[in-house]
Amino acid sequence: MEQEVGESLIQLGNSDGSNSSSSDPVTRVRKLLFRRMLVGIKDGRFFLGTFHCLDKQGNIILQDTIEYRSTRRSSPSPMEQRCLGLVLIPSSCQNSCHVDCSVEEQLSLLKV
Amino acid sequence: MADKPVYGEASIDGQPSKLASIPASDTTVWADASPLLQTACAGLRDGELIHGDNFNLFAAMSALEIMDPKMDSGIVCTYYSIDEAIENGAAPVPISLDSTIDVCRTIDIMDHLLACEAAWHKGHSLAQTVFSCIYLLRLDRTAPHALLHSYCRIIRATCKAVVSVVSDARTHEEEDLFTMTYGLPLNGDGDDKCLSILNAVEETISRQLRACKATSSKRRLPEDLEPLQSNPNLEEGFCKALLCRLRFRKHFFHVLSCMKRPQGRGLESARKHIASCLTELESILKSADFLRSCFDESCEGDIDDKTTASGFEPIGFDAMLNSRLSAPTPPRAIKILSWKKAVEYFVKLLNDLDVICSYSLDPQLESLLRFVVLFQKSQPDLVARSHLQILNHVNIVEQLLLVQDGKLYGRDPFFAVINKAAALPEATKNHDIQKNESFLQLGMVIANFLNSNGVGNSSLPNKLVMNLLKILCTNSAWQRRKLGKFLQDWRVIYVQLELAFRNEYGEVSSSSNDENTCMKIFQHILLWVEEQTYWIAFRFLILGFELELYSTGEYCMVYWYLYAVLIKLAEKTHLMMAVSHDTAKRKGKKKKDSPKDLARESRIPPAVLFLQCYICLAEGLTMMLAALRNEIPVFHSPSPFNTEHEKFVQHFELLQRACIPDYVSYSSYKESTTHARFSTLAMYNYFKDAQRIAKEVKSSFSNDPERLAELRKLEQVAEHNSVAQNVICRLGALDPSLKVLFEFSHHPFFATVVVKRS
Repeated sequence: MEQEVGESLIQLGNSDGSNSSSSDPVTRVRKLLFRRMLVGIKDGRFFLGTFHCLDKQGNIILQDTIEYRSTRRSSPSPMEQRCLGLVLIPSSCQNSCHVDCSVEEQLSLLKV
Repeated sequence: MADKPVYGEASIDGQPSKLASIPASDTTVWADASPLLQTACAGLRDGELIHGDNFNLFAAMSALEIMDPKMDSGIVCTYYSIDEAIENGAAPVPISLDSTIDVCRTIDIMDHLLACEAAWHKGHSLAQTVFSCIYLLRLDRTAPHALLHSYCRIIRATCKAVVSVVSDARTHEEEDLFTMTYGLPLNGDGDDKCLSILNAVEETISRQLRACKATSSKRRLPEDLEPLQSNPNLEEGFCKALLCRLRFRKHFFHVLSCMKRPQGRGLESARKHIASCLTELESILKSADFLRSCFDESCEGDIDDKTTASGFEPIGFDAMLNSRLSAPTPPRAIKILSWKKAVEYFVKLLNDLDVICSYSLDPQLESLLRFVVLFQKSQPDLVARSHLQILNHVNIVEQLLLVQDGKLYGRDPFFAVINKAAALPEATKNHDIQKNESFLQLGMVIANFLNSNGVGNSSLPNKLVMNLLKILCTNSAWQRRKLGKFLQDWRVIYVQLELAFRNEYGEVSSSSNDENTCMKIFQHILLWVEEQTYWIAFRFLILGFELELYSTGEYCMVYWYLYAVLIKLAEKTHLMMAVSHDTAKRKGKKKKDSPKDLARESRIPPAVLFLQCYICLAEGLTMMLAALRNEIPVFHSPSPFNTEHEKFVQHFELLQRACIPDYVSYSSYKESTTHARFSTLAMYNYFKDAQRIAKEVKSSFSNDPERLAELRKLEQVAEHNSVAQNVICRLGALDPSLKVLFEFSHHPFFATVVVKRS
């Protein structure tokens, strides 16, 4: 589901024609380091932390991470949270990945 | 926590609604980065990472891996929360609408809780054992179900009582997971009433039992009573199975509260409740056959692995719901004990507690220490050890340290220790000396000494004794490490006391009678401290055998050191006894010295002879091992890793640092063992001495079964070793195929020598 959202966002960017950043994706991901990143995983939890590292397999390391989980499968809230610190989120269990950015930045930064 | 929703576009973009509750900052939004990350990954070379300047691969290794069952305690398994589990019917109240099934499942829950409790006592976290029970986590829900409610309530109260004993005793250093109760609903209102609730339920069921027995014998029902459940054929069996379970809980709770009473006043009643607990446990075990037979369907798998008597999986448990509460530690694999093992555990625990309750509260420090050491031999678990510690602390030590009638020193425990333990009591208590100026001066000296050591009050020696008892109650491995370090404290106290006294009194040989008495008191104190120090060193060394820290190649040096420590211990004990004998005699208003008295005095006291027996065995083993090493090349095989000197340092560093005993070093060890030969061994047999002493001294301990048993063991070892030594001396040098083995079949730390021809 999140995947679709991402694609729609990209398409939006493409149709816009504002291709301001044409550098390669690795450089652009590098620019995302130290930003707040929100990773959703398959069992429904979310991890919010500072983007620390990414490897070729897509595993992500976050710093100062907070875990969010809902108390029910059916309804999204209320959320429970706890601090975990440094976490490694294997790509196999990632469901979604969002970064914190300003609206203006959003389109240019994330285009593929 | 969400002060504002993520951003307006969330709904426009069709963002997952969950994101709405996790806010970005004021002016920013969550933008999907996964497509970008995917393309970036494709662009990376193998092993290449995207990271910042602060990245450190080594530090990154310590990252918590999400969804790894060994590291991630937050994995959502079945349910997201307790409430969700309850809404999904994971813990229904009542458990079943069919009353027979309901009773049956209730018994399963009781049994599984017992298994959980045992697993907790054995070192798992409370959150993942007892509190994996959803009923316990939401106790109020069970209120309509009197049976379940009363049982859960008493379980909670029991857990609370046990946590408080263990945390008060602080014997759990390495088992500190035990007292972690964060986030668990351990403190419920009205748990003080748990016994009355339980009693009411028990009363109802015993009436139901009576009623069903009356029906079966065709008598009229004396009371109008609803049966426990609907199947009359099973009524009696169920009533009995429930009664023993409820009564066990009741008595166990009583045991815990009786043992807490001050001055050991509850110990006698605690023993009665322990006996009742053991009886109920027997009935619980017996009820298993009935519970297994009451349904036609049988469960799969080995019944001995099950956590319930019936073999059914219990309803209402989920260990994963709570696993996050054990953070920050990673989740541990939990193996709940089987029901049978759990019952066995409780039998052992109760027997250990019974031993504690049977202690006579003898205010003699020496007998207390012996009792603690003896108690440790059965390897009691944490809960039992904590109870001993609490008992020591609350009753015996206070009694020991505060038994005093003099107003001046009644609040000063230090003198009480010395009075009691250094065998001064009668003389000093009754003597005018308490009012004497010199004695007051002595008090000042000690107070000054303690103040100058930054203690501030006179609790230091007090603390030493308390610490010693505390250490002796911990598990063997921890105990040994602590004892080794603790030796230095005793040594320091000794040296400083000696210095303080010498400064105060110098080399006075004043004729004043009072001064002389004060000098004597100093000597007693110093002697007592020394005796304790060597006793600790001895214990430190023999714990190494229990923990299997010594290899056969090292036995020689270990026995040699043991010998050196024992010699000192025997010497100090002998002096102490002479001194106290002296004191006792003076109290007896000086009878005329009869020749009989003189004869008795010149004899060595049995307690010293007992140590003498140890000494002979240690010396004999040292010499035999040394001779074997010196004369048979096979025994002299230097290790490729450590030299003998290094091993010596490793084993005895703590003793050496504290100078215990004085002037003992690796070189003195080498010196005393390099000349050992078979020819010298043949001339003098230490084991024969040991055997003779053991035989002689036995009669003096006829009313002390524990030491008598020890002496019997020593005699056996001595006899075997004496024969083995003869064989080795005759054949050793000639027969290269001779094999010498060391076994601990007769005694835990004196090896029996076995000679074999290969």
